[in-house]
Formats: sequence, structure tokens, C-alpha cells
Amino acid sequence: MEKTNKSLKKTLIAFIIFLIVVGIWKPLALVYGIQRGGLYSLIGLPLALILGIVGILNLAHGDFLTLGLYIGYIFFNSWSIDPLISMAPLFFILFGLGMVIYSILIRRVLKAGHLNQLLLTFGISMIIIELIKIIWTTRPRSVYTSYASSSVTLGNMSIGMYEFIYPAMAIAVLVILQLFLKKTRLGQAASAVGQNPKGAEIVGINTNVVYLVVFSIAFGIIGVAASVMLPRTPVFPLSGNPYTLKSFALVAMAGLGNLNGILIGGITLGVAEAIVQSIPGYEGWSDVVFFGILIAVILLNAYRRPES
Amino acid sequence: MLEIRNLNVKYGKIQVIWDFSIDIKSGEAVGLFGPNGAGKTTLINAIIGLVKPESGKIIFENKSLVGLETHKIIRAGIAVVPQERELFPFMTVEENLRLGSAYIPVAKNRVEENLEFVFTIFPILKERRKQKAGTLSGGQQRMLAIGRGLMANPKFLILDEPSLGLQPSLVIELFQKLKEIKKTGMSIFLTEQNVKQGLKIIDRGYVIENGRIVMDDSSINLAKSEYIQKSYLGV
Ligand SMILES: Nc1ncnc2c1ncn2[C@@H]1O[C@H](COP(=O)(O)OP(=O)(O)O)[C@@H](O)[C@H]1O
Ligand SMILES: [Mg+2]
Repeated sequence: MEKTNKSLKKTLIAFIIFLIVVGIWKPLALVYGIQRGGLYSLIGLPLALILGIVGILNLAHGDFLTLGLYIGYIFFNSWSIDPLISMAPLFFILFGLGMVIYSILIRRVLKAGHLNQLLLTFGISMIIIELIKIIWTTRPRSVYTSYASSSVTLGNMSIGMYEFIYPAMAIAVLVILQLFLKKTRLGQAASAVGQNPKGAEIVGINTNVVYLVVFSIAFGIIGVAASVMLPRTPVFPLSGNPYTLKSFALVAMAGLGNLNGILIGGITLGVAEAIVQSIPGYEGWSDVVFFGILIAVILLNAYRRPES
Repeated sequence: MLEIRNLNVKYGKIQVIWDFSIDIKSGEAVGLFGPNGAGKTTLINAIIGLVKPESGKIIFENKSLVGLETHKIIRAGIAVVPQERELFPFMTVEENLRLGSAYIPVAKNRVEENLEFVFTIFPILKERRKQKAGTLSGGQQRMLAIGRGLMANPKFLILDEPSLGLQPSLVIELFQKLKEIKKTGMSIFLTEQNVKQGLKIIDRGYVIENGRIVMDDSSINLAKSEYIQKSYLGV
């Protein structure tokens, strides 16, 4: 405990120093980075939840995000419902979709080994993308809201205001999730299952119910993320797809079961990307930096914890 | 209380338990002795629904357990202290213990008194109650696993090789504690390779070799038996 507390403190201090240094050096990159990193974290949290507790790496994660974007688009286009209002129905629609996907597909591969699980979720990803192409074609769509393009000018910098909703929502979702896991009976059961599923059954926890609920909650959060993104994101069949890999990168960086680490890692990577993009001529390098930092952190963790 | 009739268990094609029958009465402490690989853990896993038997009956208080999910079997009043302990490593000692009661109908409203009881038997757990389970020593983890089992107010407590991996002085201490637990009237089913210590707390015992019962008798007779003395007590 001592040790993990200390290393958490060290990580936090390093994180804050990093933010301060960037803030002095490139304040605009800091702001953009926090905004973008907030989005990465918000989208990464549900993947982390499913991977950490249900033990499934969902390769269709980003495609369910795309699906959420389309559903939000329909709410807006057909019934003129603002994305920030359709967030509530979207949470429940995706929650329900999570229940269905878990019950008819995921439940069957829980004991089937990692390769089968990856193949299944990869297949789901393909099916969603193709279905979207059939139903909505590949034409990009977008949602216009007046508030999404508001900005403030500070000195000679112009900063988009709407994007601050990403880190704000990421923090809100994280806090609610932590309260759920620590304070509710079902959440405590979920924590127990995440640490030791066999041990959980042995204390009388119905692991199947826990898996179902956690999977569905994670999907609900994907719905929330989709709503929040919608005002600033073009909607097309692959809009969400790249976020699967980015979310997985965050979990690999934070370590399994470390939800707070998703926020810290997401913002670190977001800021690093923003710095690269602020250097003229190097904009295209941001993915290289993203995965470069990821690999560095994983190696560092492996070095710090040689016993595990 | 627990009745097993003609149980056969296989892993794939390999049969591990052969035509196994035992009876355990309420309030009794029964031992199952046998060498490594004899099938003791497999038998326990079959009782608590972690492996499906090929054939045979497992009946607990007139109710068949075969085919029930593990958590239902546990909620029916059976607690198990697994050989591998199966704790929650990133939770504190106290959180582990509380989880032992939280999901059991008869125990969930008795958490505080159960904690008190566990802490009187294992004072070390009280001292360490804010420490993460994963940072405890092997012996302390074993005690925590037993404590967590007791938190469920079980009618029937299964212990799978509690002495495994403990240094000899701790083994003696542990069996002292088990004696105290036995005095509460709980039925106990204990597997052991350490027959000498095991015999001290049981009323009756079975010997299992290669998945079959080769002997069953009272603890006094087992202790006297030439076969036990030669094969297990090294006399
Ligand atoms: N999950 C498993 N799959 C296949 N064989 C197993 C498995 N678990 C145990 N066995 C085999 O079953 C036999 C009995 O093992 P076990 O029940 O663990 O014995 P014990 O607890 O008496 O040491 C051993 O030969 C062991 O190798
Ligand atoms: Mg064993």
C-alpha cells in the first residue's frame, strides 16, 4: 500500500510539473491538449472498465461510439433534439445495446480465450461499419449548434470554449464511476470481480450479473461520449474507429483497473500531441509521439515492477 | 448435512474422481487426506460448482447442488477456504472480510459481530486491517481467507489444505485456531497432506488416493492404523 501510494504521488507530481512546464512554454498547446486529452479519457474510461472487470478487450469500442454519433445525429436531424439533451436517451439506448450485445455474444466467449474474444469483437466492429455504410452511406454528416463554435480571445490566442466540456465530462464520469465502485453494493461486487472473479463467486457474488451491468454501464458511457463529441465531430462510418486503439493505449499506459490513470494518461498524451502539432512542419508526427510515449511508459512500468 | 454419492469427475478424458461417496453430519469435522494430485481440490471444486461432475449426486440439506452456480451454493450456507486463497489483493484486510458477509443472506446484517468474532480468533487481522491483502505474508493471507469464510456464517466450512506453504510453528498455531472454530458447532470438511496436524481436529477421516477412497475411519483409529503411520506419518 505504502509503495503504491508513493508511486501514485510521484506520478501525480510528475504530471503536474509536466503541465506547468508546458503551460509556460506553450500555453495554447496546454489548453488544446487538456481538451483533447479529456476526450481521450472520456472515451477510454468505458474500454478500461470492460477490460478491467469483464476482462474483454472490445475491438468494436470505437465503432459503438460511431453508432452513438449516428443515433445522436438522428435525434438532432429528425426531432431537433440538441446533442447535450439527447445525452440522456443515448445513455440508455447504448446501455440497452450493451445488455443485448453482452447477453447474446460476449457471455459466450468469457471462457473462450483471448484470441476468440478478439476475433468476436473484431467481427462485431466490421459488421457495425458495414451496416452503417448500408444504412447511412459514407456521406459525412454533421450537427450544427451555435454554442459549439464559441471562443474567447486571450491576448493573441483564440481558444474554443466548447471543448472544455471534454475534460469536465471525463472528470464527472470518473468521479461517478469511483463512487459507484466504492460505495454501492453492486459496485463493490464489480471491484471484487475485477480483482478476482473466482474469489468473487466464492463470497457469493453473481459474477454474470456483474459482467452484464458493468458492460452495459460502459456502453452507456460510450453514448454519453458520443453526445458530447457530436457538436464538434463529423459523423461518418469510421468517425469513432481510431479511438479503439487510442483507448487501448491509455489502458496499457495506466495499467489494468486504474481508472484515475486513464485521466492522467489521456491528458498527458493529449498535451504531447498538441505540442507536436504546434510545431510548424511536424503536425503529422502526433500519432508517432502518442505511441512513442505509450511505449516509453509501458517500458518504464515494466522496469519499475520487475516482479509482475 | 452433506452427502456425496457415486461421484465421478473428469477433466476432458482424464478421470480424476472415481465413484466417490461420503457423508458428513451436522456439527461433524471430517478430514480428507491424500497425497498431492489425489483429487482433493477437484472434489471440493465439484462440491462448490466450479467443475461439473460426470455423474453422481451431491446433496446439501436435502437439496441437490449439481448444476447450481457457485454463488448460489455459497449462499446456501457453504463457505470455502480455497487452497489458493483467492483473496482480493488490492483491497484491505477489512474490505476482504466485509465482502465475506456482504452477499450472503444470513450474514449481511451481521457484519459487525462477525468482524468481532474473526478478530478475536485472528488478532493479527485486526492489527493489519487497513493493509492491502496482497501485501500480507502467506500465513496471514491464509488466516484472512479463513476469516473471510467465517464472515459468511456458514453451516458448513470447507478448508482446502490450510497448512500448505506455512512454516511448522504457524501450522500448529493455525490448527489451534481451527479447534476454536470447531467448538462453535460448525460442520467442517478439511483436506490435508499434513495428516498429523489434521488428525488433531477431526472426528472422522477418509483417505483418498488416485481419486478413490482407500480408507475411512474415526480419527483415533486412523492415527493407530499401520498404513497411515507408514505412508503419512513417517513412523
Ligand atoms: N484444471 C485441471 N485440468 C486438468 N487436470 C487437472 C486440473 N486440475 C487438476 N487436474 C489434475 O487432477 C488431478 C487431481 O488434482 P487435484 O484435485 O488438484 O489434487 P489434490 O488437490 O489432491 O492435490 C491431478 O492429476 C491434476 O493434475
Ligand atoms: Mg489440492
